[in-house]
Amino acid sequence: MIILLILIAIFGGPLAQHFTGHPQNSTYDSMTDEFGVPKGPNSQFWFGADSAGRDLFVRTMYGARTSLFVGIVATGFALFIGLVVGLLAGFFGGFIDTVLSRFADVLLAVPQILIAVGVVAACSTSKQGCLGGLLQPGLPVVIAVITVFSWSYIARIVRGYTLSLREKEFVEASRSLGATNLRILASEMLPNLIGPLVVYATLLIPTNILFEAALSYLGLGVPPNEASWGSILNDASGYYDVAWWLMLFPGAFLIITTLAFNLLGDGLRDAFDVRSER
Amino acid sequence: MRRSLRLAAFAVAVVALAALAAGCGSSKKSSGGTTTTSSGSTSNVQTSYDNGTAAKGGTYTIGWENSFGFTDNFDPTGEYLGNAWGILDNLLIRPLMGYKHAGGAEGNQLIGDLAESVPTPTDNGLTYTYKLRSGIKFGPPVNRAVTSKDVAYAMNRLADPKQGGQYGFYYSVIKGWDAVGAGKAKTVSGITTPDNSTIVFHLTTKTGDFNLRMGMPATAPIPHEVGDCFNGKPGDYGRDVVSTGPYMIQGADKVSLPCASLKPMAGYSGANGQKMILVRNPNYDQSTDQYRKNYPDMFKFLINSNADDIYAKVQAGQYDDETSSPQPKTIRQYVTNPTLKPRLLSNIGDRTWYLTMNLTQPPFDDIHIRKAMNLIIDKEALRKAWGGPLLGSIATHIAPPVMYNNGLTEYDPYSTPGHTGDVTKAAAEVKLSKYDPGKTGKCTASACKGVLMIADTRALDNRMVPVIQADAAKIGITFTVRSINGAYTTIQTTNKNVPISERPGWGKDYADPYTFFGELFDSRALIPSGNTNYSLVGITPAINAAKKLGVKGTLTGIPSVNSDIDACQAKLGQDRTTCWENLDKKMMTQVVPWVPYLWANNVIIVGPNVTHWAYDQFSDTTAYSQVAVSQK
Repeated sequence: MIILLILIAIFGGPLAQHFTGHPQNSTYDSMTDEFGVPKGPNSQFWFGADSAGRDLFVRTMYGARTSLFVGIVATGFALFIGLVVGLLAGFFGGFIDTVLSRFADVLLAVPQILIAVGVVAACSTSKQGCLGGLLQPGLPVVIAVITVFSWSYIARIVRGYTLSLREKEFVEASRSLGATNLRILASEMLPNLIGPLVVYATLLIPTNILFEAALSYLGLGVPPNEASWGSILNDASGYYDVAWWLMLFPGAFLIITTLAFNLLGDGLRDAFDVRSER
Repeated sequence: MRRSLRLAAFAVAVVALAALAAGCGSSKKSSGGTTTTSSGSTSNVQTSYDNGTAAKGGTYTIGWENSFGFTDNFDPTGEYLGNAWGILDNLLIRPLMGYKHAGGAEGNQLIGDLAESVPTPTDNGLTYTYKLRSGIKFGPPVNRAVTSKDVAYAMNRLADPKQGGQYGFYYSVIKGWDAVGAGKAKTVSGITTPDNSTIVFHLTTKTGDFNLRMGMPATAPIPHEVGDCFNGKPGDYGRDVVSTGPYMIQGADKVSLPCASLKPMAGYSGANGQKMILVRNPNYDQSTDQYRKNYPDMFKFLINSNADDIYAKVQAGQYDDETSSPQPKTIRQYVTNPTLKPRLLSNIGDRTWYLTMNLTQPPFDDIHIRKAMNLIIDKEALRKAWGGPLLGSIATHIAPPVMYNNGLTEYDPYSTPGHTGDVTKAAAEVKLSKYDPGKTGKCTASACKGVLMIADTRALDNRMVPVIQADAAKIGITFTVRSINGAYTTIQTTNKNVPISERPGWGKDYADPYTFFGELFDSRALIPSGNTNYSLVGITPAINAAKKLGVKGTLTGIPSVNSDIDACQAKLGQDRTTCWENLDKKMMTQVVPWVPYLWANNVIIVGPNVTHWAYDQFSDTTAYSQVAVSQK
């Protein structure tokens, strides 16, 4: 299922555009009634139209790209930051552990949506974005915000595993053979963290996809011309009682995607967790 | 990490409930049990409503979306929100000049309100003398007759920047006005009160619309006994507005002077509060007022954050009226249901919605590109995004025809078939531009790619932006869209250098074209923030430096219309109207700052208990002084 979703994310939009002949940002007067209310599915518009009269099928396919891209990239950044912070905190302990762990705790206590609203608003008033153009409005800001609020989960988990691993005999053996800290971290600790990290990454991806959907639902995600399941659902909120298709199709894709990643994560955890086999 | 599964489960539940709601909502039966027809017509939508006999009594309840949004907490001196003007002028205050509180052209005709009549200027148009009507008293807690000195007090309050006035610029034509603003005088020397029933204004220049300016709420009398309690506290008087009209804020009779013991009136919980309740003013004498009918005993303005809930309550009769914006689905529901349709009311809003283009920013620093934009935009599609023809007529120039006594109705310098845009005409215009060096009919220069467009985050913006993007792409212009909640702040800040925005709209302050041209295109009014001349018409390098506007772009060769505005201001009657018409034509052909697309209608839905409803053309709101409701 996940492979299929990834294929949809890569090829779905262009293929949908090719087969329907409807570019994702083209508006079709015939697909809204005289009051501007969108029309439902028909033989040309398989998922109906959105409130601007665009082909919802094409938009939903392109939305897969946005959702998976944000989910995977933000998770990748969060993994990297969380891994480094968790390793340092767990391995060295003491003052470094206290500073890094408390910093992660503070981030966990921060109201995420509230901060996200502020950051996105601050970065969206100019073409350049913020931080001297480093943070562009749209997807880059969304990814940055999600990353900032995701890495601390990973860091906590990595720290816990590292605390446990550093007391293991093979680490002691490596140290007694004169290995440097860097070598121990790279050769002894990291390989033992890969299993749990893959599991948690798989579970973090759907969380981040939903976070992006939530931001876009609030109008803080991607620009209006870029499709995202969250922004389509935002569009649907004003028409939920007269245009069921607006909520059903992107909603169904969102559910299937999050469910698929969750099931994969659960499966991987069962596979990696030796105790669960007993 | 189990959180992910819970989130997924939550998402499943949300979509399932939504689908259920959608299924329920798709029923052809409305909640009231009436049957909808498959299609309806936007024709025959009424501008007023009668449903039985209008009688005294009852409570008229208005659902108000989100928050009052007042600009100065309802203090008449600084309040600049049209919806607030509707309440003030109909129910609470009586300026020297007033209106009949009617819809259409009649509603824009000036009458004497506190003044006995509309005066003719003397002294070659430089002196205006108003005689006050007798029998008009302040409501509680002041309870005394209104005098000309109370009008002078209100005017001096407006002239003092510390009191929060927001449109004092209209009165700078009065002698000595600016001296008060500069702190060089305490009172305006050009305002005199020879006796308690006469007030005289001496002007520095002929101002053809001066009587109209004396019909705005800030000019209504304020008693010094209460006004002095709020010196230097802009907006605080809003919770203790002393009535001269038929109603007063509930609790006005429970507060007392002097200032030390004066508390806010209980009926109004402030601009960020949830309610405003108005009751009858015991000191109001109906015989002094020909046009206000004052049927209900009480008005309740109640805040409601959910637009769907507002319309559900209006339909159910829990609200009688609304201050919200009906979505396309709501309009369709009413237009297609013969039972509901009479309660959907649409009136001309004296307002233009437009795309603003910044004359200093590429590619809009080239007039041919601005003209091409006017030719390529599908205005009909934009109107549909608003909700279709009921929401207004297609705009083809700056000020709505009603501003010219229905002149310029046929004027459309960029006409296209069905107002849907014309690629051929637009491409021909682009070919004349420096941004199309190869004469391809497309804007091929890099300045045309990724042009910054500021949009808002309303559902409406999400419907409009794709239309504009798709149209502009036909002539090679692409946009980088930034959606900002409250986009006005950004586009009103000159150093943001916003090339284009689809957000702006402008409504009249009073029925004279000056309220469009003076505020929107006079380069002397340019300011760094809160600027309304978004296109920066008339800007020069000197103005940019002197006013610290921070504009970076093309600053030379920008046309100015300051002298045209001054020339029209000195005229009266038909000459004045013709002058403004010519300036409108000049704006559209020689300056081209906008793509005007909609002359908006104001669509209001009323509840089943309303027995009479009328529109107030001056404030572009419900004529609260005319409405009636059955006893509840």
